[in-house]
Amino acid sequence: MKRETDYGHPIKVVYKPDDIEGFDYERDLGDPGVYPYTRGYHPNGYRSRLWTQRMTAGLGSSVETNRVLKKYREMGERGGMCVICDRTFAMPIDADHPMGRKEAGVLGWPGGSLLEFEELMDGIPMTGQSVTLLSTCACGPLQLAYIVIYCQKYGVDLNEIHGAATSYPFANCFGQSDCQPLDLDRKLFLDASEYAIRNGIRIRSALLSQHCRESGLNDAQALGVEMAMLNELCGLLVNERGLDFDDVASLPYELVSIGIRFFEEIAKMRALRRMWAKLAKEKFKAKKDRSCQLLIAVHTSGRTMTYQQPLNNIVRTTIETLAGVIGGCTAIDNATMDNAHAEPSELAARMSLNTQHIISDETGVADVVDPLAGSYFIESLTNKIEEEAYKIWDKIEDMGGMFAAVKKGYIQNMVETAMRERQREVESGDRVIIGVNKLVIPPEEEFEIPIKEVKAEDSEKIARRMEEWKKTRNTVLIEESLFQLYKDAQKEDRYNLMPSIIEAVKAYATAGEVMGVIRKARGLSYDPFNMIDCPFNFG
Amino acid sequence: MDEKKIIKVIVSMIGLDEHTVGGVVVSSFLRDAGMEVLYLGTYQTSEMIVHAAIQEDVDVIGISSHGSNYSQVGDLMDLLKKKNMNDVIVICGGTIPKQQIPKLKAKGVAEVFTPQSTSKSIVDYIVSNVKKERMAG
Repeated sequence: MKRETDYGHPIKVVYKPDDIEGFDYERDLGDPGVYPYTRGYHPNGYRSRLWTQRMTAGLGSSVETNRVLKKYREMGERGGMCVICDRTFAMPIDADHPMGRKEAGVLGWPGGSLLEFEELMDGIPMTGQSVTLLSTCACGPLQLAYIVIYCQKYGVDLNEIHGAATSYPFANCFGQSDCQPLDLDRKLFLDASEYAIRNGIRIRSALLSQHCRESGLNDAQALGVEMAMLNELCGLLVNERGLDFDDVASLPYELVSIGIRFFEEIAKMRALRRMWAKLAKEKFKAKKDRSCQLLIAVHTSGRTMTYQQPLNNIVRTTIETLAGVIGGCTAIDNATMDNAHAEPSELAARMSLNTQHIISDETGVADVVDPLAGSYFIESLTNKIEEEAYKIWDKIEDMGGMFAAVKKGYIQNMVETAMRERQREVESGDRVIIGVNKLVIPPEEEFEIPIKEVKAEDSEKIARRMEEWKKTRNTVLIEESLFQLYKDAQKEDRYNLMPSIIEAVKAYATAGEVMGVIRKARGLSYDPFNMIDCPFNFG
Repeated sequence: MDEKKIIKVIVSMIGLDEHTVGGVVVSSFLRDAGMEVLYLGTYQTSEMIVHAAIQEDVDVIGISSHGSNYSQVGDLMDLLKKKNMNDVIVICGGTIPKQQIPKLKAKGVAEVFTPQSTSKSIVDYIVSNVKKERMAG
């Protein structure tokens, strides 16, 4: 077993004052609520606001996902809700597309139209909790449109809404893709972000390292890539879209993946707060304190959940959730014991939510802000990961930033090398995983947990519903609004498509139609998979 | 058939599955084991996979999967049967719910490798079964 950090730095047997030589409390940490915010943003920590305790929902139809959302609220979800999109909406293509109909409702919510969103949110409050819709980059603008229209239609004050609905354009490097080209994703991200910022809509965008981490990057790499993304995307909004950084700073949120390396995970979160604060203040010249505070949510790592002896995963999730809590965060959605098997069963979801509640309500851990500050080990780890992450970030900047690094395949290579290394470590036993390469038991001794299953009929049902429903829509209104979108999408890249996307969505144009028309206007095929023709004739 | 002929394997995702980690890692250790790997990547339909299998005359098709309803693996097996390609060994790997495993095998999938399967177990399986298949052929 190697005694080194996740990113390969040797760990000593004991840490002493000389491991944090030159440590300056005010400069390096500051009190909670004080720049550089290493210790967090709130002087009273979780006493002033507990983290949002949530569980990600999304599987089967919108009606089914709505039922699960309500169930999670009963199970103690508090502060916010979180939904993930299915494979069809992720692209986005429609559920009745030849490829869509085989996978509608798989691994997420099939949010292909405003109708689906209306069904999803039926009986669930839009205000008084954060509404987080995880997405790919390409379906982000549609989700933002759903929220805007829903508020108009049902008389909800848009100013009262907060949450997240859009996403960064680099996820395709990390196996979390839509099928749109990078330049289109870049534009869609900027359009949706600019629209939300200019209209004061408190719907954030996921600029997150969770995907990089889960696809195999180590903690330092994930932190370096995260900073490079934040720097570049915020920079584009300031320089290309002419926005004020103090407005832009409220857009991104980071979903940090917390793994099993307890102290390192805590150090990583502390380093991230400090790095963002410095970027905001020193480079972007932030005028407001708030702009130096990056919103950080936690996802405990699905990748650390093992197929073997799944009950062990409850223990892992507990340790990871605890690290997330001590690290200081705004929200947690934790992995479930059955993550390596399927989507969460009710029992598994309950266990993970209970884990959060046991930590918040029984342990006393949430009573003290940043309780590990001043530990020689923790401060040394915080400095070290920051140092390593800066090296990676610098390298990306030397290549010309994230878009350039992605185009050169640099990020993809980094991911591939990291995932191979991880496999080697597990197989060689350098990385011990109980139940996998140590204390292995024969399959017949496994404890059976309930496993949720998806059926092919469910996808077909969602597809058929969409097919039938499409025929009932006001086609004149749809064609008019899509034609406007088509014309707008032919204009220069900086012309914001959100207003025309919103009109089309309002007329119940589907996600596949909206994206198809944008694609067509940009000289791409209407259907990314070239299986269906454009149903509209725009001359 | 020449037993020494290099083993050719397709590794592919099927449908809209975009989780590439498993497929990439498996491709890499199959290559290290001396096999020729055609990594097809994402957004492959069963038709595309079968087409590639015919073109390249492969011994094995490996489908990497992260949760689905698996009807597309069924489509793939049907298509292979239709094309009389019964000698191609199809294996699946990934986060596949255990209830699915017997269903996939009933469709003709030879083996299912669940998460944390070792590279050795996958390589050994392919080597010994391709050998059997070639001797039978």
